[in-house]
Amino acid sequence: MDKDLFIKLSNVSKTFPGVKALDNIQLEVKKGEVHALIGENGAGKSTLIKILAGIYKPDEGATIIIDGKEYQSLTPILSLRQGIVVIYQDFSLFPNLSVAENIAISLDIEQDNKFLNWKKLREVASKALNQLGVDIDLDIPLGKLSIAKQQLVAIARALVYDAKMIIMDEPTSALSKGEVELLFKIIRSLQQRGISILFVSHKLEELFEVSSRFTVLRDGKYMGTYNIDEIDSDKLISLMVGRKVEYTRYGADKIGETILEVRNLCKKGNFKDISFELHKGEIVAITGLVGAGRTEVAQALCGINVPDSGEIILEGKQVKINSPEEAVKHGIAFVPESRQTEGLIVRQSLEDNITLPIMKQLVGRLSVINFSKKREVAQQWIKALNIKPPYPNMLVQQFSGGNQQRIVIAKWLATNPKVLIIDEPTNGIDVGAKREIHLLIRELASKGMGIIMISSELPEVLAISDTVLVMRRGRITGRFDGNNVTQEEIMNKAILNEKAPVTA
Amino acid sequence: MKRFVKSKEMGILLIIIVISIIISIGNSTFLRPDNIIDMLKGNTVLGIMAMGMLLVIITGGIDVSVGAMVAAVTVLVGKFMVNFSGNVLLAFIVGCLCGTIMGAINGIFIAKLKIPPIVVTLGTMSIINGLMLYYTNGTWINDIPESFINFGKLTLFKIPNGQGGMIGVPIQILFLVIAALVTWVILKYTLIGRGIYAMGGNPVSAARIGYNLDKISIFLYSYMGFVTGLAAVVHTSIMRQVDPNAFTGFELQVVAAVVLGGANILGGAGTVLGTLLGVLLLAIMNNGLILMHIPVFWQKIVVGAVIIIAVSIDVIQRKHAEKNLTKVDIE
Repeated sequence: MDKDLFIKLSNVSKTFPGVKALDNIQLEVKKGEVHALIGENGAGKSTLIKILAGIYKPDEGATIIIDGKEYQSLTPILSLRQGIVVIYQDFSLFPNLSVAENIAISLDIEQDNKFLNWKKLREVASKALNQLGVDIDLDIPLGKLSIAKQQLVAIARALVYDAKMIIMDEPTSALSKGEVELLFKIIRSLQQRGISILFVSHKLEELFEVSSRFTVLRDGKYMGTYNIDEIDSDKLISLMVGRKVEYTRYGADKIGETILEVRNLCKKGNFKDISFELHKGEIVAITGLVGAGRTEVAQALCGINVPDSGEIILEGKQVKINSPEEAVKHGIAFVPESRQTEGLIVRQSLEDNITLPIMKQLVGRLSVINFSKKREVAQQWIKALNIKPPYPNMLVQQFSGGNQQRIVIAKWLATNPKVLIIDEPTNGIDVGAKREIHLLIRELASKGMGIIMISSELPEVLAISDTVLVMRRGRITGRFDGNNVTQEEIMNKAILNEKAPVTA
Repeated sequence: MKRFVKSKEMGILLIIIVISIIISIGNSTFLRPDNIIDMLKGNTVLGIMAMGMLLVIITGGIDVSVGAMVAAVTVLVGKFMVNFSGNVLLAFIVGCLCGTIMGAINGIFIAKLKIPPIVVTLGTMSIINGLMLYYTNGTWINDIPESFINFGKLTLFKIPNGQGGMIGVPIQILFLVIAALVTWVILKYTLIGRGIYAMGGNPVSAARIGYNLDKISIFLYSYMGFVTGLAAVVHTSIMRQVDPNAFTGFELQVVAAVVLGGANILGGAGTVLGTLLGVLLLAIMNNGLILMHIPVFWQKIVVGAVIIIAVSIDVIQRKHAEKNLTKVDIE
């Protein structure tokens, strides 16, 4: 094996029940190299990180060679002992403990000490911070530091582990421009000391600044590794998005009058200057990367996340929506991303779930529930949305993902909304059922409802939306006619910084 | 020093000073050495148990069985002394052992079966209460051996009582000092102590860096039991008799002292000094209101109100911090 290589993975696959998350991946990281791992949401980056960290075991037949030694799989301890340290997006730090402890306590745990030598602990911590060339008070609780400084603490901890390769998962997502510069400076100094960095990110302009090689994943498949001089951002994007799954397009037959208009909606730390219109019969897709502020906008429209400023105009009248209850009264319904935890009460029956938001209409005199009417309503929606099996008494958790999604949609349709907001409508649903959900959404629109669909799946966006809004870092960076847009165009707006176009 | 001025402990100390001034204006006996010593002696049991509860609350747990546990240990130790031996050392060993075993049972259920602490300890509370009622029938134990009664009357040293005479500092206070010191060392200098903070701050990360959370849970509920056993023996040395019903509702006072002492009921924060101040604050409020001839029911109302205010401040601060958290870095 090449002496310059720190780690070489080949034939790495990972199968979960029903899904092949990784399919025959390879990856090589040289000593002292900054290597970028890129791919869309769901491309398999996180799964690969977990295999490197020893949390997941790859399928049979994988080889992992670290510093010349060959393994079939890793365990968390083995991975750490080989010097592979992952800095997760949440850093895995302790807000209530001092900076010194956060950096160095893992050493004591590893040595199985019973007592803590504070002097030594502070020495180890301050040495690690010195190596990074940063000055942070060792004694203050970590929670009092800015996110950027917490990240430096996480990197210092990695040094204490004697890291040979540091994996950074979206390290710049919460940093300002100046903080990113400092991080890059530190990454370069780590590189000079022979430490490899695997940099996982969506932000192409940043990747081009620090990385020397790129490995691209798409739908769990290896799309190749490229040197910085043989690739540019257009090529990277086409490698990332060229998905095989394509749906036949169903656009709107006719779009009616404006039902909802949003003007300059702002909320500090969430989104800025959001303006768009939604018409009867129209499906507006809001797409972009996870963390771009899409869900926050949707939550602002349904009263969960009240905006700081801006106007929401519903059927020509300006409205204020301060709670989900008010949103429902105004005819805005929200189907959240996680069916299991936010959308449904999975241990109750289909009927109980569907009728929950309209309970007030089902009570008779003395506030007693009219059970026959309740059953009738449930039956009606089971039929309308073709929920299978059609048993009102069956517990929600016993239905398949696709049918659970129909149940959530039914639940909100029962409130007779004018505007339906659906967050990631086909998340975790198998391919056939996805198609049916798309058709259902299109059918609802054609009956005159205005629909806002938040989706990361570009084929889905292209299949049914009439207008596509792309968000990036809290703003709308692209607006397209759904009839006339490509995945590449959308991805460009989602990941590239307009102000500083990147050419390799 | 600068840090102390800004700390939660400083805030509690200020409240204690203000309340003390108010009470001593109303009744000059409040600040007399004999009253202060009586007050401290009367709250050593609360203080010792609060040390265990502090550890529990730092991890975000709670133990509501401690009232039942301390009562049970007083009965067991009392019966032991009446039937077997009046040896003081043996009484302490038996008491601490019984307490530790009961605590360990709580710990094992909480750690191994992942049952919420409130559910496990509510259950053990009811079981212990039931068993004790069956065992004692509610009758008192009065014939505590002379040797143990004499031990309870020992004093450490004498101080002026403020009226020309001298007053002894009771030996029971020594046990509170020891319990506080041991707890402080555990929390500050042992790896398991730091693990308790780590677990309260971020359990997922604590497990990731190699802490065995089950072991920590079993340790801290056992320690809670241990100090409860110690407190039971100290209590018996003060009262010189055993009333099986003396501790009904006492668990709430222990939790109250810890929470008043600035520990975060949601986990992650709390100190020995703060908890001692919390115990003192509770003691002063109880004692002062009696001295000022304010009816007993007011004590309960005031203590309850202070607790709710203290916890509300914590929760509001946390919510405020969450609200201002940047979710998307807007360019």
